[in-house]
Amino acid sequence: MTLNNNSHENQLNEIMRVENLNFTYENGYKVFENINLSINENRFVSVIGRSGIGKSTFLRLLGGFLKPDSGNIYLRGKRITKPNPQIVLIHQSIVTFPWMTALENVKISLKSKNLTEEEENYRARKALEMVGLQGFEDLYPKEMSGGMRQRVSIARALAAEPLMLLMDEPFAHLDELTAEGLRQDIYNILFNPETNLKAVVLVSHNLTEVLELSDEIFILNNMPATVVAKIEVNLPRPRNPRSDEFNRMLDQLYTYLGSSSNVRG
Amino acid sequence: MNLLYVTEIIIFAAIVTTLRVFGIILLSITSGWLLSYAAIKSKIFENIYIPLNEIFESVPVISFFPIVLVLFVNAIGGILGVELAADFLVFTAVVWNIWMGEYQAYKTVPNEMVEVGENYNFTLGEKLKYIYIPFSIPRIAANLFPSFADAFFYITVSEVFSIGVHQYETFGIGSVIVYFYSRNEITYVYYSLLIMAIIIAISVYLLREFSKYAVAKYTVDTDAPILRRGRINLKQTTRVISSITVTPLSRLARYYRFRNNVPEEEIFEKEEHGYNWVKYIPGVIAIFVFILILYYSIKLVISIPSVTWDYLLSLTPFILLNMLFDYIRIAIIAIISLVFAVLVGYYLAMHKRGEAILVPIIQTFSAFPPPIYFPIVFGITYPFVLHYFGILTTEIYVLSIGFISTFYYVLYSFWMGLKAFPSEYFDVMENFQMNFFQKLRYIILPGTFPYLISGITSTINSAWGGLMIGEYWPNIIGDKNLEVKVGLMKYISQATLQGNIQIAAWSSFIFSIVVVLYSLLFTKHLMDLARKKYVAEEGIYAA
Repeated sequence: MTLNNNSHENQLNEIMRVENLNFTYENGYKVFENINLSINENRFVSVIGRSGIGKSTFLRLLGGFLKPDSGNIYLRGKRITKPNPQIVLIHQSIVTFPWMTALENVKISLKSKNLTEEEENYRARKALEMVGLQGFEDLYPKEMSGGMRQRVSIARALAAEPLMLLMDEPFAHLDELTAEGLRQDIYNILFNPETNLKAVVLVSHNLTEVLELSDEIFILNNMPATVVAKIEVNLPRPRNPRSDEFNRMLDQLYTYLGSSSNVRG
Repeated sequence: MNLLYVTEIIIFAAIVTTLRVFGIILLSITSGWLLSYAAIKSKIFENIYIPLNEIFESVPVISFFPIVLVLFVNAIGGILGVELAADFLVFTAVVWNIWMGEYQAYKTVPNEMVEVGENYNFTLGEKLKYIYIPFSIPRIAANLFPSFADAFFYITVSEVFSIGVHQYETFGIGSVIVYFYSRNEITYVYYSLLIMAIIIAISVYLLREFSKYAVAKYTVDTDAPILRRGRINLKQTTRVISSITVTPLSRLARYYRFRNNVPEEEIFEKEEHGYNWVKYIPGVIAIFVFILILYYSIKLVISIPSVTWDYLLSLTPFILLNMLFDYIRIAIIAIISLVFAVLVGYYLAMHKRGEAILVPIIQTFSAFPPPIYFPIVFGITYPFVLHYFGILTTEIYVLSIGFISTFYYVLYSFWMGLKAFPSEYFDVMENFQMNFFQKLRYIILPGTFPYLISGITSTINSAWGGLMIGEYWPNIIGDKNLEVKVGLMKYISQATLQGNIQIAAWSSFIFSIVVVLYSLLFTKHLMDLARKKYVAEEGIYAA
């Protein structure tokens, strides 16, 4: 495990850069101060921090859903000013449209691309296949389990061919068995050679989940929050949460988070 | 006339009318609390009360006003008869919506709360005071604006009414304005409208404040408040959460401390002796009322000579033809209202500042009763409308009065639907850069479908009121008449003015049967579909 602050190495492979980001809630509470970070291609990145620090808000800023007070966020060198299909947010509450089948739910992400009906169907079916839902295209969300619904929302995101996925506690509303199954699949689904996806940013307070999936972990702390550390995880994949090495790193992560949570700005 | 004296009269009349409106709404609310409780406790009562409510909710009561007026004037007579007739009309215009809202609120009181009440052995009064009534407050608040607007519309219409050669009137802003129109005192009409506008604006402000208070204090929601449009309002969130935790459960807990300690055995004994027969009272009352209605209906049918029946039956095809024309007008009004609602409602939901300014203005405007200002609008615009629309002039006015007296319901409903939309849906639409029409087609219209159906139903029901006054309005201003060629509402109005109550009553009866059938076969079917398939909130899975 290595710790770095404000890493700017591998500029050539950098896909996202956050510069001097500041953000204040409408009620005047300042959430973030001077956040700087860089995310490289083909990396699964996680953001952790104590409850209420603003992790979900941070994702929404990265996606352009919220506007920072100052500072900039760049995706492949282009400033993000509003949400767009190149960077897709997957919500903690699993979002599907009850009046649409699984296939129609996925096709929603293609509407702005003005494709033919056949092309829409082809891409949506391919995305559903990628998440393991072939044969379930005509089911309505009500007829699916929570895990299947979350796969539909991931397929919807993948169908849009984004460069980056933002995942806000995507397993939080699933039972532990389903969550574990999806966690095991997710890395291969997301970094499947058939997708254009270049990076994933995950927000979670489940440290096992974070360690199981991530290549890099950013730790947020202080009030207002800043990135206090970046942790690189070099464990071989697939990762076994029962292995000694995994648990040693997990302990270190807990220790680090525990000690950093005592830091107050 | 002395200006000061006239101003005093106008203010007094406006206050009298406003008090009537508030009094009737208050009566509807309080009676609904008791009836709804009876409905949830007695299956028999519920099975009679709810279908009757649904039927009366879908019948535009204004078409029955002539009959109601005659009944009240005959039974009670004099000023009191007219006053009660006017109040009864307004009561029947607003009460069903309020009663249904309260019933639905009572039906959805969380079981845990009911069990708390049972656990502490609450009396009927305590259950109502500490559980059911607080729980129904947000629903009542949501129904208040449409009820308020409806009440003002009908009260101003019903304060002056002519049947045959008799003109019946009761003091209020509606009758005062009619008096000014008849004497061509247009300046005083303007004064009246101004004073009425001020009073309505104040009332709307008070109702808005009450609504905010009701939602903040009485909304019970187990989920965290939904984040809207990416804006976080911690202050509001804290208030809502604290209201969830403070009331009404903690009030229940506080209350418990002040209850006398009655020995347990005594409580059980009391319950065993008193409970069984009390629960049948609402059912028995409901059956009694039902039999009474049936008895008087049969008596009425038998009392009418067969010759009259033959005549009335022969009129039926003509009545149905007239109704067809009115349904075409209603369809046009509904479509225009729907398009207007979707465009304006979307703008309001997307623009917080615009919403803060426009919503109170729209609410005040919609509560401002068209019957009192429409003659002036007609007088000013008639030459232009005649010039541009020629033979369609009358239709333009009738459709306009229908629209302004009714557009609000579907707009309000759609706007509420969008406000209740999960914030995640807005994220998805933005994320995938859907254009306005894609958003409407795939997400917003299906997602607000239950709200749209409910709004369009209210709009259609209220549009009949607009047609009732617009299709036949003799001497609307000066010697000008507003009169369509064909229309059932005109037919009923004319029959009433000629004192031909039998034709008016039969037409109203045929009309109400068609409206009820339409409601049961069409609206109910759409509503069931909406509830089954198009519930946006169900698209968010948060187990």
